[in-house]
Amino acid sequence: MTGLLGQGGQGAYAAGSDRPEKTELRIGFMPLADCAPLVMASVLGFDEKYGIRLVLERQHSWSAMRDRLNKGELDAAQALYGLLYGLQMGIGAAPRDMALLMNLNQNGQSIVLSRALAERGARDGAGLAALMRAQPRRYTFAHTFPTGNHAMWLCYWLAAAGIDPLKDVTLVTVPPGQMAANLEAGHMDGFCAGEPWSRRALQGGAGALVAPSSQVWPDHPGKALGARADFVAAHPHACRALVAALLDTARWLDASPVNREAAAEVLASAAYVNTGVELLRACLLPRRGDWPALRFFGEGAACFPWLSDGMWFLTQQRRWGLLAADPDYRSVAAQVNHVDLYREAAQLAGVALPDTAMRSSILIDGRVWDGSDPAAYARAFTIHDLR
Amino acid sequence: MKSSHPPRSLRIVVVTADTSGHDDAALAARHERNTALRIGLLESGYDIVASLPPDIFLPERVAQLQPDLIIVDSESDARDVLEHIVIATRDARRPIVLFTEDHSAPAMEAAMAAGVSAYIVAGLQAERVRPVLDVALARFRREQQLLGELADTRQKLAERKVVERAKGVLMARYRLKEEEAYGRLRSLAMNKNLRLAEVAQRILDVEDLLGQAPAAKGHT
Repeated sequence: MTGLLGQGGQGAYAAGSDRPEKTELRIGFMPLADCAPLVMASVLGFDEKYGIRLVLERQHSWSAMRDRLNKGELDAAQALYGLLYGLQMGIGAAPRDMALLMNLNQNGQSIVLSRALAERGARDGAGLAALMRAQPRRYTFAHTFPTGNHAMWLCYWLAAAGIDPLKDVTLVTVPPGQMAANLEAGHMDGFCAGEPWSRRALQGGAGALVAPSSQVWPDHPGKALGARADFVAAHPHACRALVAALLDTARWLDASPVNREAAAEVLASAAYVNTGVELLRACLLPRRGDWPALRFFGEGAACFPWLSDGMWFLTQQRRWGLLAADPDYRSVAAQVNHVDLYREAAQLAGVALPDTAMRSSILIDGRVWDGSDPAAYARAFTIHDLR
Repeated sequence: MKSSHPPRSLRIVVVTADTSGHDDAALAARHERNTALRIGLLESGYDIVASLPPDIFLPERVAQLQPDLIIVDSESDARDVLEHIVIATRDARRPIVLFTEDHSAPAMEAAMAAGVSAYIVAGLQAERVRPVLDVALARFRREQQLLGELADTRQKLAERKVVERAKGVLMARYRLKEEEAYGRLRSLAMNKNLRLAEVAQRILDVEDLLGQAPAAKGHT
C-alpha cells in the first residue's frame, strides 16, 4: 500500500546527526477506532520515511499498557490523558515522569443510555435527571478507566445536568468490548466509551446515543501518544521521527473519504480492532449533519499537544478528589507535554504550528476553558468532590 | 517447611480468565495458566474464597468478600476493573498480585513500583508460590502500617489541639489555672467514660452553641 503515498525516498530524514537512536520502536495500541494513526503509519510505511519502524503491540487493558511503559517493554503507546497525568501525579501508582508527545485524535467518543431509559424520556442530560427524580433507584453508569478520558466526559456530562456522578449514581469500570452486552442485559443504565464499541451498542438496539463526546467539548482531546520522560530524553531523534510519521499519517487520514475507507478495512482485521468492517466504516466515515466527528489532523490543530488540554485533565482530577491539592497546573503540563519536540517534528513534516500552546473552548455547561486560571476553574463547579 | 509453617487463613480471590473478546489461542493459554495457579495455591494450603469472572459485578463481590489478596492474570482486560477498585479504595487498599509469564526481575520491580504488590510467574512450582505471597503480603502490610502511623500521628495532633482549646475555654470561663482546667477535663472524661478528646470536643461544641458572651462579660 506504500504506493498510495507517492512520497519521496525512504529514510530521507534519517541521515547525519539526526539519526534515530533507536530504529525499531515498540508501540502499544488498544483495539479502538482511534488507533488508526498508529496502525496506518506502520501499514503505509510513513514510519520508514523517517528512518524508523513501528512494531505494533495490541494491549487488552490500560493498566497493562501502563505497566509495559513503566517496564520499558513499550517505547511509546496510545494513552489516556488521565493515565499519563495520573502517573505523573502518582494517582493509584508511584509517581513517574511521563511524556505526552502529541494528541492522536479529537472527538469520536459517545455517551449511550439504555433503550429503556431513552424510551422513558432520557434523551439528554436534563431528561435523564428528570427521570432519575421521578423514578428514584440506584442508577449505574460505566466508563473504561478510573482516571481516563471517558470517566471525565461521563462525569462532566452528568454534573452539567445536575447529577452528582460520585453521590447520585454508581460508577463502574467495564472493558469497552463488554459495554453492549452489559447494557443489553440490564446490568447498567448507560456508559461512555470510544468507537467502535459505543456504536455496537447502538446498532444492536441495546442503547441510544444521547451525547457524542463532542457535545461535551467540541474538538476535545482524544488519545495521546505517551512515553516515559526518560525514554524521550534518551531518544529525542527517534521520538521526533515518530511524531513526524504520525503527523503524515494524520494528514493522510483526514485528506479524503477514500483514505478513511481504506483505514476502516485495515483496522477491521483480526490483528487490529478485530471487528466488522461496516462498523468501522460507520465510525470513520461520518455522515453529513453529524456532530463534530472523529478527526485526526485538522491542519495540525488536532495533533498539537495543547498545554491547556493537559491542564484541563488536572483540573478535573482535582475537581473529583483524585488530587488532594492544587498542583502547579501550568508547570506540570509544560513538563509532561513535550511541545518543543512536537514543534520540531511538525516542521519536519511541514505541518502548521499555532502561535501559543493554549486554546480556548466552551464546554457543554457554557463554561469557557482557556487555561488562564486553572485553580479557580477547578473550584468553580457546584458539583465536585474537592477535599 | 510445609509443616513447620502452617498457612494462615489468608483469603484469596482469583479473577478467572475472560470469556470473550480475544482470540482463542491466547484465551486457552490464559485458562491453562489460571487453572495451574489455582492448583498451586490449593497445594500450598491457601484458601481461595472465590474464583470470580471478570465482569461488571467484580468490584461488588470483592467488597463483599473483603479478600486479603486479589490475584489476576497480567493480560486480563479485568485489570482496568481492578484499577477502579484501587482508585476507589485508595484510602484502604488491598494487595493485588499479578500472574504473568514474564520472568525478568527488573520487570517485576517496575510493576511493583507502579503499585502492584507482587508477581507470580506462571509455571512457578507450588512450594514457591507461598514465599512469594508471604513477601507480597508482608510488604503490603508494612506500607499500610506506615500509612496508618502517619494518619494516627495526624489524628493525635488534631486531638491535642482540641484539648488545648477546651482547656482555654475552661480557664477563661471559670478563671482556672491550666492544671486545674486539665484536671477538670480528666475527671469529667473518667466519670463519663469518654476519651479526653471527646470531652474536649463537647465543651467546644457547647461553647459554640452558647456563645462566649457571659465569659467575655466576666473578664472585661
